Amino acid sequence: MANTETALKEALASIEGATGVALVDYTSGMALGTLGGGKTFDLNVAAAGNTDVVRSKMRTMEHLGLKAQIEDILITLSDQYHLIRLISGRGGNGLFLYLVLDAKRANLAMARHQLRKIEEDLEV
Amino acid sequence: MTTVQTTPPPRLPVRAKAAARHRGWGGVSPMLTRLAEERATGVLVRERGTLHLAGGRVVHAESPAAPGLDVLLTARGTLDPDTWRQALTETGDRHRAGHLLADGGHLAPGALEVCRLVALYDAAYFALAPSSSPGRFRYAGDDGPGCPCPVPVAAVERETLRRRDLLHRIWPDPATDEAPLVRAHRPASPTPTARQRAVLERLDDVRTAADIARDLGRPAFHILVDLRRLAAAGVVAPRPRDPAPIPPSVPMPVPVPLPPHLPMSAPEVTDPHITLLLRLRDALEAL
Repeated sequence: MANTETALKEALASIEGATGVALVDYTSGMALGTLGGGKTFDLNVAAAGNTDVVRSKMRTMEHLGLKAQIEDILITLSDQYHLIRLISGRGGNGLFLYLVLDAKRANLAMARHQLRKIEEDLEV
Repeated sequence: MTTVQTTPPPRLPVRAKAAARHRGWGGVSPMLTRLAEERATGVLVRERGTLHLAGGRVVHAESPAAPGLDVLLTARGTLDPDTWRQALTETGDRHRAGHLLADGGHLAPGALEVCRLVALYDAAYFALAPSSSPGRFRYAGDDGPGCPCPVPVAAVERETLRRRDLLHRIWPDPATDEAPLVRAHRPASPTPTARQRAVLERLDDVRTAADIARDLGRPAFHILVDLRRLAAAGVVAPRPRDPAPIPPSVPMPVPVPLPPHLPMSAPEVTDPHITLLLRLRDALEAL
């Protein structure tokens, strides 16, 4: 059991290569919490913009008639990975975790595994 | 060598956007900005809701248009309503009730925090909506509701403006935000999402966005977003003020969301082609 701040701290500290993380409400596009990112990477802007990515994928799934849930969405840049993990909490609040990784340092499989663990601890 | 100098083309005439005036750039409420600067403690009462401040930071927001923390927590089974009522009776205050339940293991701290933040920003959006009357502030002696997780005023203002802009970008006509709503049957309407379907199922010519939010236990702003998208798709419209009797020979009436600048006496248009053109015009004007 963790609150959002400790969950975000854990994500940034324990996931190798993580440079920023945000917890986002994807209907309003609001970041409920952000950590890292720095001056060059505005996590609030990334949060709002990536809600469109999530919404678009969900619509496509509905059009295709796919009933499965999206676990995560990976976006690969030449030097970064952006990992979006949808939170399937009891509350059904429609949230996702957004993780920015440095491609040179990150271990993608490990990062996915750890992010799943952080989501479970968050219990939202 | 000759250089050809071209004069830049004249600026295209830009239509004055009526909505831009209401957006309130430079702060949603000068009074709130001042209260934050002086680290005030008390309650700001505005036309559509209240903000509770402690030391110049927002600790709680309420609006009749937005469902409270209790609704968000109990609607989808995050928390049993009886457990909530019991905690509320013991503490007499929503904040303390929430923290009591989290401490007692009935509620995950993350769930409480997320619901509290969502409810706060949701109510603040309505409380800080442009109003026709000035707000009042009642100073309080103590620190108000004892909450360890206050939100800076600047963050609330920024988020409120961002939300106004988001709604404006989706569909510029705010008519669906407050009016009773009707479902407009349109041929070949796009497939709504599961969440939008839940909203559509509750349209009955009487309910407003706020009623639907309370019914579904979802933040009211989320409902506004869904409704604007549905209005943009021509699936939802505000109830016409004076519903004209529909001749039985017209099988598919298509009510149009009237743009605010049209006089209310504009004739009701039911021809799908004209409706499409009107919607196209509205969308182009909003660009």
